[in-house]
Amino acid sequence: MSELSQPTRVTRRRFLWQGIAGASVLGVMGGLAVRAVRSRQGAEDRAPNPFAYEMGHFEQTDASLIAYERVAGFRCPRPDPRRLTFDARGRLCLAAGNYVSLLDTAGATLSEIALPGPARALAAASDGTLYVGLRQQILAFDAQGQRRATWDPPPGKPWLTGLAVSETDLFAADAGNRVIHRYDRSGKPLGRIGERNADRNVAGFVLPSPFLDVELHPDGLLRVNNPGRHRVEAYTVDGHFELAWGKATAAIEGFCGCCNPINLAVLPDGRCVTCEKGLPRVKVYDLHGEFESVVAGVEAFPENAKAGAGDGMTDGVKAGLDAAVDATGRIYVLDMVTGDVHVMANKPGQALAG
Amino acid sequence: MNPPPQKTSPLSRRQFFRAGARVAGMTGMGLLCGILAPRASARTTVWQIDPAKCLRCGRCATECVLTQSAVKCFHTHAFCGYCQLCTGYFVPEPNGLNTAAENQLCPTAAIRRTYIEDPYYEYAIDETLCIGCAKCVEGCNRFGNGSLYLQVSQDHCLNCNECAIGRVCPGDAFRRIPIDHPYLLKTTSH
Amino acid sequence: MMNQVKRRKELRGAAWLWALGWGLGRSVAEQRFPPPDFESGYQLPLTQTPAPRSLLLQYVDVGILAVALALACYLVYRRRSRTGVLALSLFSLVYFGFYREGCICAIGAPQNVALALFDSTYALPLTAAAFFLLPLAVALFAGRTFCAAVCPQGALQDLVLLRPVKVPAWLEQGLSVIPFIFLGAGLALAATGSAFVICRYDPFVPLFRLSGSFMLLLAGGLFLLLGMFVGRPYCRFLCPYGALLRLASIVSKWRVRITPDYCTRCQLCETSCPFGAIRTPVALPANPLALAPERKRLGWLVLLLPALVAAGALLGSRLTPVAAKLHPTVALAESYLDPHRAPTPPGVQTPESLALGRAEQNPTELIASALDVRRRLGTAMVWFGGWVGLVIGVKLIRLSIRSGRTDFEPDRAACFACARCYLHCPNERVRLGLMPASELPAIQPLPAPTLPQTGSHTT
Repeated sequence: MSELSQPTRVTRRRFLWQGIAGASVLGVMGGLAVRAVRSRQGAEDRAPNPFAYEMGHFEQTDASLIAYERVAGFRCPRPDPRRLTFDARGRLCLAAGNYVSLLDTAGATLSEIALPGPARALAAASDGTLYVGLRQQILAFDAQGQRRATWDPPPGKPWLTGLAVSETDLFAADAGNRVIHRYDRSGKPLGRIGERNADRNVAGFVLPSPFLDVELHPDGLLRVNNPGRHRVEAYTVDGHFELAWGKATAAIEGFCGCCNPINLAVLPDGRCVTCEKGLPRVKVYDLHGEFESVVAGVEAFPENAKAGAGDGMTDGVKAGLDAAVDATGRIYVLDMVTGDVHVMANKPGQALAG
Repeated sequence: MNPPPQKTSPLSRRQFFRAGARVAGMTGMGLLCGILAPRASARTTVWQIDPAKCLRCGRCATECVLTQSAVKCFHTHAFCGYCQLCTGYFVPEPNGLNTAAENQLCPTAAIRRTYIEDPYYEYAIDETLCIGCAKCVEGCNRFGNGSLYLQVSQDHCLNCNECAIGRVCPGDAFRRIPIDHPYLLKTTSH
Repeated sequence: MMNQVKRRKELRGAAWLWALGWGLGRSVAEQRFPPPDFESGYQLPLTQTPAPRSLLLQYVDVGILAVALALACYLVYRRRSRTGVLALSLFSLVYFGFYREGCICAIGAPQNVALALFDSTYALPLTAAAFFLLPLAVALFAGRTFCAAVCPQGALQDLVLLRPVKVPAWLEQGLSVIPFIFLGAGLALAATGSAFVICRYDPFVPLFRLSGSFMLLLAGGLFLLLGMFVGRPYCRFLCPYGALLRLASIVSKWRVRITPDYCTRCQLCETSCPFGAIRTPVALPANPLALAPERKRLGWLVLLLPALVAAGALLGSRLTPVAAKLHPTVALAESYLDPHRAPTPPGVQTPESLALGRAEQNPTELIASALDVRRRLGTAMVWFGGWVGLVIGVKLIRLSIRSGRTDFEPDRAACFACARCYLHCPNERVRLGLMPASELPAIQPLPAPTLPQTGSHTT
């Protein structure tokens, strides 16, 4: 009966005071909870990813191995740069988007050539002819920038990624068909180099991504990168496999990741410059294919290292490096992610063997 | 026997108010229906990851309300390199290019490596083991073609109102897409 | 050769499918580098895309909800069967709880509706609309039968109730404003597209899924532990959908009547209710003049109401910057703008530094969208603050109104229609033939009204 005489009513006064007390207790507790949650969130934000893909010490370059320093640099005048090379007059030819820009060594634009599509390969002949490789076609321009020829696409599934030109021949690296086409200077096919052939002891190019570069070496042989096999191969112009060097390792002396090097350049004395993606770095290998020195390490391309090769929104090849060598042996390095060209020169007092 | 007490009706006014409120309530709900009708849809939406925005932060593995995340690694073979040295499969400096556990990048060994022909290997994801940590995705994106990427596996996803991963996704990669096309697969052309 | 052509065709078909999946707005311009031509005749596998739950099953959910609601009303009002209600709630627990894993649920549905009202781009799922409207419409006529037998969260708590203790009335009344405040917060945050806090902090859904964050699983366990002694703690003191159902059932057409015949005021039923929902009979004072001070106070409270609403709205607008920080976009924009921000360290990226990297790529867009979020939240916070003021003011007014009643009867708003009390009524037992009519207790006199204590008016 006591329940009846004391009905389940609350006086307003009691509700008010106890309510205020309760609310303040709740408020303090809620505030503490929010703070706890927020600080936990903050801690989580700052906590490293437990599943991080760690390259560890490979992302740092031993400073004593770096034989080059950046002496100049400039930005590409056009977006989406891919390749660069020097022509016979010492102008820097830079393929970016649907243009080839001809620059002086300080990066000022001298002239421009408009293209029907993005250029993926460049080669400049000593007579001033500039050969430009689109995905399927090779275009030839004279020294004035007039288009002189448009060659028929090679058969199969062409995907041109590299060009080299000698006095008589043009070599076109075709990543799609996994072959180097040999043409005469008028565009007549002369032969196919590097096709898988056990009889000729040619293992064949392994190209997970469209990076097959060809360079003409002073010794008269072609230098071709074989990224899937992590090596650089040398062929005669007739397609005889001569030699190969390079090994797969993320360590500085080797080629990292699944498929490197991606691009090549040759120094006047015949040493080879290699460009890598993933761990973006440019290195010099001596005439015997032994690692010699670093031109620029991962630190030099932070954006490029972050971007990753598979992120590229064009066709998966935007995140890379290309290099060209001028007559004095300076190395011009193109960062395709940032669009910067770095001019690298030997550090003073650094005598290099070879 | 006590007769039941006679019910006086002092509540008639209240009953009137109640009936009025009820009618008002029904009218309100009817109005709400009218407003919502054009926005309601049986074609609901589902959560999905935009692979172009994914930053491979690892949170898909840790933040999903499910113990084993509904986010899985997907593989578009049409631009896979079939690499012998797959950076999505192997740790950065593997001891050898074999399936030994210490060489595998995946914390749950959810990637199957099958020999096809020299020198190509096929890589396939075992969804039942994949926890969506994106370690392989980072490896593949870093060096390779990016043919491995994360997607919300719709047969696992509970389609929460507010995706617990999406809330903390540093790339803001989660968004709702129509249920008719519930995936944002990477394609050979884009 | 044939084989190759066929494969290429298949590939092209697959590429089309992928292009569709990739969505609109992306130009199909450049091609990716294809894999090598395999000499062994290897076929490229297609990417497997497991289908989501069938749309048809959505309608099954809605159908089961409708049938369960109708059955619940029948069991509560016609059959007056606690066993039936219990059986139905067990089914609901298994189906909506453990099979559907607590999703779709009515408790979170108001958020979807709020978002749909304010965001025209949001496609409101039909199930969410149905789960919001159906139980509410039923409550307008038949009270909280949804809570009794259809809601899996309620069923789970009902099942673990072991030894109910009576919650002191002051605590019960005080805590009963929380669901309304939680509802306001949930609607405000959902309408601005900021968060679904009601879903996020549901303590039982992780139990249904048997997975979830440790803190939430712990909270669910604690609620169940508490629920062994306090009847349905979540339903009474937190559930925001329960707050809506409370409002609807205040005006419901039918209500739970404990006695099928007449009330003897034997008080047996009151102890049977583990939720403190049964109100004792009380007479109104014969002389209305005795209540004059209370009326005056009521007048003051009614005048106080707008002031409370205004104060709440002001407080809400003042707290906007704090509340906005809980939104990830605003938090990211603020940490981006923080002048003391540490530069991103090289090497492995933390999620935070990855997010900041994204901010650096397009700061103007981020800041613009953060400002937009803050503006929308600012409006919502004013409404939310006003709502809190209104809830407290109305609660004060409610406590100052006394109403007389002659019978033991459940509070319209608080009663879950669980049907526990029926069998405790001697008249019900007579009706069911469990007890001879001669053993009915005598009618107790109506207790006298409690008058305000004049001594406590000095302050």
